[in-house]
Amino acid sequence: MKTRIGFFDFTGCEGCQLTVMNLENDLLQVLQLVEVVEFRELMSEEVSEIDIAFIEGSITRRQDRERLQTIRERSKILVALGACADNGGVNLLASNQDVASLRQQVYASDAEHLQTFTPLPLHRVVKVDYRIPGCPIDGQEFLAVMQALLLEREPELPNFAVCVECKLAEYPCSFDYGEICLGPVTRAGCRAICIEGGDRCRGCRGLVDNPRTSPYHKVLEEHGLSVQEILEQYRIFHIGEE
Amino acid sequence: MSQAEILRFARALMQAYDVVGPRRKKGRISLGTLSDAADLELEFPPSVHSPKKFLFPHWDELFRFKLEGNVLLEPESAAPPRIIFGMHPCDLHAVKILDDCLFEGETDSTYRAKREATLLIGVDCVPDEHCFCTSLGTDRIANGFDLFFHRRDDSYLVQTGSDQGRQLLADHAPETMAGAHEAPLALQVKQCESHLQFPTESLPLLMKDAYEDPIWKRLGTDCLGCGGCTLLCPSCYCFNVQDKLELDLKEGQRVRTWDSCQFDQFAKVNNGDNFRSSQSDRQRHRFYRKYKYLWDQHQRTACVGCGRCSRECLARIKPTEVLNELFSQTPPQQLETSPGSEYQPQMARVERIEVISNDDRLFRLKVPASFNFLPGSFLQVSVFGLGEAPFSIASPPDGSDEIELVVRRAGALTQALHRVRSGDRIGIRGPFGNGYPLEKMQGKDLLLVAGGRGLIALRSLMLSLLAKRDNYGRITLLCGARSIETLLFQEDLLAWHRSGLIDCRFSVNEQGNSWGIPATDVSYLFRDLDINASRTIAAVSGPPEMYRQINPLLFRLGLPDEEIYLNLERHMKCGLGKCGKCRINNICVCECGPIFPYSSVKHMAEAIER
Ligand SMILES: Cc1cc2nc3c(=O)[nH]c(=O)nc-3n(C[C@H](O)[C@H](O)[C@H](O)COP(=O)(O)OP(=O)(O)OC[C@H]3O[C@@H](n4cnc5c(N)ncnc54)[C@H](O)[C@@H]3O)c2cc1C
Ligand code: SF4
Ligand code: SF4
Ligand code: SF4
Ligand code: SF4
Ligand code: SF4
Ligand code: FES
Repeated sequence: MKTRIGFFDFTGCEGCQLTVMNLENDLLQVLQLVEVVEFRELMSEEVSEIDIAFIEGSITRRQDRERLQTIRERSKILVALGACADNGGVNLLASNQDVASLRQQVYASDAEHLQTFTPLPLHRVVKVDYRIPGCPIDGQEFLAVMQALLLEREPELPNFAVCVECKLAEYPCSFDYGEICLGPVTRAGCRAICIEGGDRCRGCRGLVDNPRTSPYHKVLEEHGLSVQEILEQYRIFHIGEE
Repeated sequence: MSQAEILRFARALMQAYDVVGPRRKKGRISLGTLSDAADLELEFPPSVHSPKKFLFPHWDELFRFKLEGNVLLEPESAAPPRIIFGMHPCDLHAVKILDDCLFEGETDSTYRAKREATLLIGVDCVPDEHCFCTSLGTDRIANGFDLFFHRRDDSYLVQTGSDQGRQLLADHAPETMAGAHEAPLALQVKQCESHLQFPTESLPLLMKDAYEDPIWKRLGTDCLGCGGCTLLCPSCYCFNVQDKLELDLKEGQRVRTWDSCQFDQFAKVNNGDNFRSSQSDRQRHRFYRKYKYLWDQHQRTACVGCGRCSRECLARIKPTEVLNELFSQTPPQQLETSPGSEYQPQMARVERIEVISNDDRLFRLKVPASFNFLPGSFLQVSVFGLGEAPFSIASPPDGSDEIELVVRRAGALTQALHRVRSGDRIGIRGPFGNGYPLEKMQGKDLLLVAGGRGLIALRSLMLSLLAKRDNYGRITLLCGARSIETLLFQEDLLAWHRSGLIDCRFSVNEQGNSWGIPATDVSYLFRDLDINASRTIAAVSGPPEMYRQINPLLFRLGLPDEEIYLNLERHMKCGLGKCGKCRINNICVCECGPIFPYSSVKHMAEAIER
């Protein structure tokens, strides 16, 4: 029997699922090997047993929590898809603000029945088996994780910094332009696309396992940042506070 | 050639080859396949990545396979005929280092395929503030390229370095052939802002005592572990091997990708232990790999001073600063002890001379300072007016400043040495080369096989073993000589035999000899030999014909290739891996030998076969 996979989403922009869909031909090839049993972007029926569940988005409401728990119960393997699911992602920009007033700002008159709380990454609610980081995810990495799971191998994420991919591709370093870059402590795997595009790394893929924070802070201080500003750098993707 | 002619030449080459050259990319110099010859830069500082990018690429397919049934497919696609146009001298030196490391032992055929399909064209460089090639002697190069373009006012003088290079000119720039005999340019002196404040010959000594230096700890707290330094280094070649599968999960390829000793997972072993777990250990490892370990093997650094590592290091770790700091802490007199600096010999006093046979004399020399070596290493001995010749060190490495040589009369130089008297001074350089692996021999049984003068190198080994006799198992010596007269060190050997320290067995070719033993050669001694092959290391030293005879017997005893050490003497001049006299195929005996494990020379046609 083919491996049954499902895609689910919670609070997020669906950019990660879109990345999966954008894989086009590659995706079609992989779909030969699996059976997609749930994917809101494509279908609506529900089945009871799932081999691999890919879950996008953070948990922000009580109902979400329960739904995630039932998905966990029906799934053999649960994979957090993207930054929102993995570590809270941009949603966590809300974390140091008062929830009630935020709700008022965002939902205005609907605030009463939209009972949201500070967004949670999946692992705060259920056991997460594997993760695919990034905002959005990297399509090729998604395929590689999928391949590994189909072959019953442990999926592996790179455990070195974005700088590595940046150097391999010979991009000039953001620091040379006086830009502050999170590449030195951020997990590689995105082929440093932001630096390729002329931006800096904002750390969407989360920290490497063993970030060299003290030498990194030394570099940041040399570039004129204060402790407060250094912590700010980590805030967009809420890394370093996990 | 003028700029315009070079442009035309490059264009012509592009018709026949994949031409890789330096061009500007995002404001930096990057090597890549040229689509327009006009993009080719001729005067430029080091490119971001070195030519390693093409000779030993980050993503290199080793082979393809089918998952089902484990089928191997297309072993290896042929490398495209390629020219790298724009190799700086340092990068050419780095290719030699890659050659040495990747052709040594089991040849890396994937690298070789690319290497052989690639022609290298050198150009003069424009150093920047990170370059320090002038400190390492890598700012110029005499060979290792097919063509080299030397800058000369407003044009370039082309030097050919191989037949293929000459052919390239004949085919694609025939007009240059007219000036074939132009004189070479006078040496141009480059100025590098970064430099070492001491001669490179002091590096091995500097590094020898620096293992526990607090500097590594400091580097460890500064380093980000990003691996940029090693990935960009033209001579770092550590790699990882992974299987990458096609999406259908039916086929895949085994690829190698660059790895870095600076990464967390690099030295992790199965049980989760990391035997180089701190960043300090990793930085130290990097520096030792660059400035010590290769020196021990090949008498040169694995660094060519291109400055790439410091140019790209966000933590601003610079090799010149690190080494100069180490140097500034070292008491100066310690650094002058290596007598091996370049071509100038140091004078040693002859303390004692012993006539040990009609043709052999033993010299005891007092050297300016003690030095370290492994048994099997040699010294170059000078007689001014006659030149230099190599002689094995006959005494053990015991830290003393007196060493012994045995000189057998052969021609002019050895005869001159036989005329030397005690109290005279002779010139020496060295020690050079690699010896027998004393450390590896600990706890092992040893089978020593000597033929003729080969016994001299083994004497150094035997004396080293005897100094710590308990550390080794059984020692057996099979010793062959032409005659009893020429059998060296007879009394010592017999004494060792009698006291049970070394089991010595002899053969001589001479009929009716004074010992009354049958005339046989050394292979005869293998007949009733009882050896435990699994715990034995063989050290063999003699003339080449002896190896042809003995090696099959050693294999028959069950000794593995890597446990058989041979002493391959060759004609030697410089002892520095430069003159090329002692080359066996692609290695220099003076640097990598004269002692080799059989496993690392068996692929070389010139090593033992004639
Ligand atoms: C690694 C090594 C260790 C050696 N150890 C010893 C030793 O311990 N004791 C000893 O007596 N001899 C040793 N030799 C040999 C010694 O170097 C030669 O006998 C010596 O060079 C002969 O020089 P010559 O001018 O007296 O004779 P020549 O008339 O020049 O030559 C006599 C023979 O020696 C060979 N030879 C000449 N020059 C060299 C050279 N530069 N390198 C190698 N061979 C050469 C010639 O090919 C010829 O076969 C060693 C050689 C090598 C390569
Ligand atoms: S991780 Fe980024 S791309 Fe993916 S859903 Fe969240 S916000 Fe969107
Ligand atoms: S741009 Fe960022 S990721 Fe790239 S090398 Fe510089 S710090 Fe590292
Ligand atoms: S460069 Fe940084 S911010 Fe950009 S995709 Fe990669 S990890 Fe995310
Ligand atoms: S480039 Fe610098 S920071 Fe990166 S690993 Fe090397 S020494 Fe450390
Ligand atoms: S260690 Fe640094 S300077 Fe030396 S060859 Fe490598 S990159 Fe160049
Ligand atoms: S003796 Fe000169 S290269 Fe070996």
